[in-house]
Amino acid sequence: MDAVVQEKMIRILKGELKYTSSNLAFNMMIAKLQKRLKSDPACIEACIGELEGFLAKYPIVAKVDLANIVAL
Amino acid sequence: MLITLDDTVKLIEEGKTLHIAADETLLEKLPKGKWIGGTTPYIMSDDGGLLTKDRLFVNEIDFAEDTNVKTYGKYNIFQVVEECYENGLTILIMPYGSRVAAKYAKEAPEVEELLMHPTVGWISGFDLSGDGEAKVYDGTSGESYSDRAVAMYIKLPENKTAMINMINIFTDDKTDPVIRFYNNELSVSKCTVNGQEVNFARYIEKKGIDTKMPLVADYNGSYINTSIKGVGDDTVSFYAPVFRNVDYRFAVKVDDYAKEFEKKINETGAVNPVFSCNCILNYQYGNLYGHKIPPYTGPVTFGEVAYQLLNQTLVYCEILG
Repeated sequence: MDAVVQEKMIRILKGELKYTSSNLAFNMMIAKLQKRLKSDPACIEACIGELEGFLAKYPIVAKVDLANIVAL
Repeated sequence: MLITLDDTVKLIEEGKTLHIAADETLLEKLPKGKWIGGTTPYIMSDDGGLLTKDRLFVNEIDFAEDTNVKTYGKYNIFQVVEECYENGLTILIMPYGSRVAAKYAKEAPEVEELLMHPTVGWISGFDLSGDGEAKVYDGTSGESYSDRAVAMYIKLPENKTAMINMINIFTDDKTDPVIRFYNNELSVSKCTVNGQEVNFARYIEKKGIDTKMPLVADYNGSYINTSIKGVGDDTVSFYAPVFRNVDYRFAVKVDDYAKEFEKKINETGAVNPVFSCNCILNYQYGNLYGHKIPPYTGPVTFGEVAYQLLNQTLVYCEILG
């Protein structure tokens, strides 16, 4: 995950930036990590790591989301 | 496709890999083979929604590199995230009212790795006018179960990926009161409304809430429904559990259910779903009997699985790449 995407993903997880994917699983993942981060703000690196793993697993689908997130 | 018993038997005998939804009387007559199935006489077909006891709905799984079928009980259901293919799709069918379905419904959202493994499926049911029993079938063994889940693991080619999505006509109004629950439960007595504890059944009664409208939770823009099964004197029961630490609101009232459903279908861009299923509440409230909703054909269900258990939703899966 490059620096621009990572910075925006952190803002999405903190609720500072809104991004809704057309991929249900990605939205569920974001909601789950937002909840986790809210209860434990120190786990941001683990959350980003989990997101990276998710996006790496689905490169065909992630391509669209990553482009959209960069453009936010 | 909706086909006869003879045609289904022929496909099984040809060695095809199949996902089948039909009335119990038909599933009982199928020979062993590479198939899984669940009971429901309600089907969304190319010709519209119908109740049939002489034809079966069949998906041919012709996009798999390999498949594997297993069954699970409530104590090992979450092995589905360990035993699936690394790049694949899992079709999971669970009987309505079973302990395995309740366990999956309550705990799936908290299972690590679940979202890393595309899992789609449904809750099998029965003819609502009778007193039937929901069952699932493992065609590879010829066994049927009312208390176990059946999973078909589908291995996909490296350049393909499974994308699961849903169609949901419900949204919330962010100015409505926030409802929260204390535990992951299929029935509740108490909840909080805007932070104040209330008896949920009395709250619904007092506010005159139409319980055809589900509770909705906003999962980053994807709305997940929890449908009301019944309101008693003191308790409210649900078709899927409510979860602690999740903000719920009652869905915004839909004036013309059928029209709104059709509008959402037309907005959705699925071209060639390899699987879809639709909730029996959509079938009933949306007047889908005799009504076509192409390209979505498949079982009408007592619950839908898109990773976790959903309600009042149409779920579908496409293979991309």
